Amino acid sequence: MTLQIKHGLISADSHVVLDRDAFTSRMSRPRWGDRIPYVVEVEAHGQAVHRWSVNGETPRGGMARGVCNCPAVMDDPLNNTYPQRWDEVPLDAYEPAHRLRALDRDGVDAEVLFPNDPVQGSFHAYGDPEFELACVQAHNDAVAAFREASERFVPLVVLPYLSDIAAITAEVERAARIGHRGIVMLAEPSLTSPAFKHLSDPYWDPLWATCQELELPVHFHASGGIGQKLSIPQWDGYAHDVFHSAFTIPTGHWPAQFIPNLIFSGLAGRFPALKWVFAETGIGSVNYVLDCCDHEWEKRHLWTSGVVERPSDTIRRQMYVNFWYEVAGIALRHQLGVNNIMWESDYPHTASTYPSSWKYVERTLVGVPDEERARLLYANALRVYRLN
Amino acid sequence: MQLTNGVISVDDHVQEHPNVWTERLSSARWGNRIPHVAKTPDGLERWFVDGEVLAPDRVATAAAAMPDRTREPQRWDEVPRVAYDPHERLKAMDADGVAYSVLYPTVAGVAGQTFGRTTDPDLELACVQAYNDWLIDEWAAVSERFVPQCIVPIAPIEATVAEIRRAVGRGHRGVVYPSVPMHLRTVPHLNNPEYDVIWSTCADLGVPLCLHAGASQRLQYPAHAGLSAELSAALGAATAPASTAIVLVNLLCSRILLRHPGLRVILAESALGWGSFLLEYADHQFEQDRVQDYELKPSEMFRRQCYLTGWFEPVAGHIKYLGAENILWSTEFPLATSTWPNSGRTIEHCFSGVPDHEQRQILWGNAAALYRIPEQTNTRERVP
Repeated sequence: MTLQIKHGLISADSHVVLDRDAFTSRMSRPRWGDRIPYVVEVEAHGQAVHRWSVNGETPRGGMARGVCNCPAVMDDPLNNTYPQRWDEVPLDAYEPAHRLRALDRDGVDAEVLFPNDPVQGSFHAYGDPEFELACVQAHNDAVAAFREASERFVPLVVLPYLSDIAAITAEVERAARIGHRGIVMLAEPSLTSPAFKHLSDPYWDPLWATCQELELPVHFHASGGIGQKLSIPQWDGYAHDVFHSAFTIPTGHWPAQFIPNLIFSGLAGRFPALKWVFAETGIGSVNYVLDCCDHEWEKRHLWTSGVVERPSDTIRRQMYVNFWYEVAGIALRHQLGVNNIMWESDYPHTASTYPSSWKYVERTLVGVPDEERARLLYANALRVYRLN
Repeated sequence: MQLTNGVISVDDHVQEHPNVWTERLSSARWGNRIPHVAKTPDGLERWFVDGEVLAPDRVATAAAAMPDRTREPQRWDEVPRVAYDPHERLKAMDADGVAYSVLYPTVAGVAGQTFGRTTDPDLELACVQAYNDWLIDEWAAVSERFVPQCIVPIAPIEATVAEIRRAVGRGHRGVVYPSVPMHLRTVPHLNNPEYDVIWSTCADLGVPLCLHAGASQRLQYPAHAGLSAELSAALGAATAPASTAIVLVNLLCSRILLRHPGLRVILAESALGWGSFLLEYADHQFEQDRVQDYELKPSEMFRRQCYLTGWFEPVAGHIKYLGAENILWSTEFPLATSTWPNSGRTIEHCFSGVPDHEQRQILWGNAAALYRIPEQTNTRERVP
């Protein structure tokens, strides 16, 4: 299958929206009953609304604001409206044919599908390995169905963290067979749960080996689950608007924390063909990372400590960052290299550039030559995800 | 470009010698809780603060002057004099073209955070005052090329303010403040109005507030427990500056800068590169979130009052986004990351493509204004 490029734009970070029966149609009712993720009617602010119920629990946190995280398609120019009942969820969010038309409307050829409600990247929080595996498999099957509908959808695997490493790897292999093109990973598992091993622990090696062999890049999305841990304690003095800003803005620095660990732990070097992708963090922090890792490597002669290769060489060979609206990082793009940068639309989340993605693209890429634009906007993604 | 007039390094560290606190605190009152150096069962020496070992891997931070930058001193007799002897330090500065050096602690914490963990406020204050007095008596008194900065007790806030006034009265010219006091012990959130008197005191006295990278390890990506000491140190050297982004975002959102337009905030050992995008992201996000009632954008607040510190990164690409007035330079001596003794070569590389007047601003002018250092002169003639 070769993906046809009509528009010249691929989103390397969008978010799938699953139909309300994605899990009920796939998971065993006798086995899981009401624990199966499904859309349930509850009361919120004196009104009857719909929310996802998972493991018999109604949602917490961000999922409490609506039944679907798709504000970009709610006809609200502020991208601040969340559907309260399922019939308010636009088909453009979850129905493949409609979603393809939305892509065309936005001038986008293809999109890489990160998870969305009710997954938030993982089902481990419910503490039940078998339940988690069943949900994960249903999720991975549901997202694979998008790719069956069209090669313009590029699914990513969600992992069953509570299973043993052999089962985790088996699920990755299974998902790859049905069309997935990468995995989503916790940025630092040991911070997410004391039961999980550190990212660079040899425990995870079979996972990296599998991903390397199957050419599945490893993705960290935004803070990869550690934003709540590595943070200044929440302050109760913020107004609602700046609270969201305070929570979101640090997202732009995470590669500067993730990449040094991948380098100095030796993990990136041990799997030289494995790709690492940093989504929704922007590209601007990588200039610091390149300079800093090389500087520390030189000053501390770390080639004698097992980091044999110059860090910037490793980074340029294996690491990719996504941008969507930024100007500074694009101006400084040559330090990382034009081959290592992809564009994202974040559809249909609040930060999404939909339906004016090309407006943002034109603004961001002023002065960038056509040949580089092609790489940034779609050619790198074609290569990273093996789409043609 | 040739460096004719030297550099003001805005971030170097003093290594406190073993007697700093034992000479000044009452052993009758505090006994073994006084910061001191003691031998461990395996014959090494370590600092003990309030009865607990401070750093498990070293008795001093002096990597740049050690034969091997990955091996910190394990006993006091190994510590290079240049780390703790101000006269030797001046020679090291001469060798590196550094005219003035702004001083941060080591045992008291690179960001002044050590004594904030002390649960007894009297002990905390005693340790803080001992450091502040020692730095004036034994470093500042030796040469005006040393720019002393005080540390503070984090609570009660009246004690913080009193010590700032006392220390500045003794000659300190900057306030080293641990950027996340809530991570040291149970104190109010940094953004609370109780702290305003600290910021206004700094502004009134005309001394910068110095938030050094690495004040809280809890903002930094953790090393694997099995990672070697040298690789862990390298990881920490990379993540500490990066974690400054979290501190800066909090500062910009907190309105502290709007309430205290005269306050100057120096982000020491911050590095530069992540800053350009972070300011763009901050402005973008304030717009997206339709943030109300901030009369300045984040980038404008930053430009008015904040400073990032570079020491190894090429500068030219970032001046446009950070502002030449908002960039400071350091040599980070004697940390492993230090550019000593080749700072001149590093500077030449890092300032390639930077107009002369901006180079002088970043290497001298900005710091001279912040620390009231006199006009550039030929330092080799004026060394006392």
